[in-house]
Amino acid sequence: MISRRIDDKHRRVSCGGGRVCDDMKPSEVGYIIDESVLMLKRRKGATSLSVVIMGLSLLILVMFVLVTLNISGIIGKAGEELRVYAYLEDGLGSDASRDIQYRLLGMKGVEEVVFISREEALDNFGEALGSDSDVLEALEENPLPDAYRMKLGPEMYRSDILARMAEEIKQWEGIEDVRYGRRWFERGEKLVRGFYMTDLGIGLIVLFSVVFVISNTVRLTILSRRRAIDVMKLVGATNTYIQIPFVIEGALQGVFASLLAVGLLALIFTLAKRYLPGLVFFGTEWVAGFIVFCAVLGSLGSFLAMRRFLKM
Amino acid sequence: MKSTEKRIIAGVYHLSKDFGKQFALQDINIQIANGEFVFLVGPSGAGKSTLLRMIYMDDFPTAGQVVVGPFVSTRMKRSTIPHMRRRVGIVFQDFRLLEDRTVFENVALAMKVMGTGMGEIKRQVTDILTRVGLYHKRYDYPTALSGGEQQRIAIARAVANSPSLLLADEPTGNLDPVVTRSILELLFRINAAGTAVLMATHDFDLVRSFGQRIIYLEEGCIVKDKEMIYVGDLRDRIDDSSVSREADRLSGHDIEEDR
Repeated sequence: MISRRIDDKHRRVSCGGGRVCDDMKPSEVGYIIDESVLMLKRRKGATSLSVVIMGLSLLILVMFVLVTLNISGIIGKAGEELRVYAYLEDGLGSDASRDIQYRLLGMKGVEEVVFISREEALDNFGEALGSDSDVLEALEENPLPDAYRMKLGPEMYRSDILARMAEEIKQWEGIEDVRYGRRWFERGEKLVRGFYMTDLGIGLIVLFSVVFVISNTVRLTILSRRRAIDVMKLVGATNTYIQIPFVIEGALQGVFASLLAVGLLALIFTLAKRYLPGLVFFGTEWVAGFIVFCAVLGSLGSFLAMRRFLKM
Repeated sequence: MKSTEKRIIAGVYHLSKDFGKQFALQDINIQIANGEFVFLVGPSGAGKSTLLRMIYMDDFPTAGQVVVGPFVSTRMKRSTIPHMRRRVGIVFQDFRLLEDRTVFENVALAMKVMGTGMGEIKRQVTDILTRVGLYHKRYDYPTALSGGEQQRIAIARAVANSPSLLLADEPTGNLDPVVTRSILELLFRINAAGTAVLMATHDFDLVRSFGQRIIYLEEGCIVKDKEMIYVGDLRDRIDDSSVSREADRLSGHDIEEDR
């Protein structure tokens, strides 16, 4: 009777040729969950310490990303200020002028075309000069031409595209000149490019450091449990049985670490916003994505670190 | 219905193991029948632990093969090792209990990893803990127990799944002579209930009086594998090594006195 029961117990193990049917019993799933809960309960101290370490390194990462986000927001706004002026030849008829407006509107990337009459331009100029506007009174006649002012889409904010566009328009009949502050724009573009390159470089270094810190923290967590892992292996636990609690722990650590990082960042942000009211924070979907990313990072880190100990 | 017929439950065949240039084991052949009790004796560094590790497949031989029940070392995937371990109980000198779990949980672990139902686990663990005389300590943590008690728990865990073979690697190495005797008695009792036992020890004096099969291992080779006929020869060999004198001292025997 006894021996038959034992045989039953082992029957599912081998099904011909030593091949194994690795079907998992429902009770096994329950025990794995128990193990995970047990592990988190018994190791509160160590787990929360790793969460703090991970959270702080993630804070550096998210802070960096937020600063980048804000700066690129400012750069984007500066781009929106860009206006291209197409100056019309003197004495152009209203039909020809309207033709030009339609042609400009039909161009790729042009979002808005506004007619600025020479009188309007002179008024604007006077306003720009402020208290010095008296100098304009010395003028006998308005030297300014009529113009179309164009607002462009963000895909056009590139010096080569702008230059090509300006050249093309300049060829048209009735166009005197096209201007958009070319030198300023090119200088700004170089600056922005330099900023993004530096930012990307530093960002990668920060990212690698953070991944390094996190993977080491995870590895230490597992190293401290090596004895338990060995014992589990000795009594015949499958790799899945051993791994799942660690993977769950890794995911939870990732979630809590990311919450800590985002929480601290929000605190810093609130303080900083008093001095820089224009600052923006991550949107909800960014935060959600970040938490999911950290959960995946944590569980993947655990999983990979486990592989070594389990000789897989 | 227990069969009295002898059948081989585990064996190593022409097993050799080297770590780089150095041979750890050379052409080892051992067969263990069901219900047998075998001592594996030899000085430290003879290859006892390495041999046991091959048998529970923590490591694999360079040549030859290990067979445990239906599992053949040369013809199995790594993923089947856990299933093989469930048919073999393993006990060590350092007990290897999980200190963050109670005595009960430590023993239950071996059954949990198999997915045994909780009711069955409770019944079986209660039964085993009673048999090793530590049921009253089921809620204690291992650190609160003496060395001998910890080893009893480790043995209880090893036999929780009613294995056909129990491997013990210097199970008494950390224990005083009195406790050592009691652990041996426990192993004999387990053996009497039908589990084959292979116990490695460097302590020849401890095992010579029992009349069990002794395999003597020296420098990675089997020197003798007989019942107690060759005691004289083995004694000579043991006297040669300083390790055995240390063993004699530890086990409280004086060599001169025995002669």
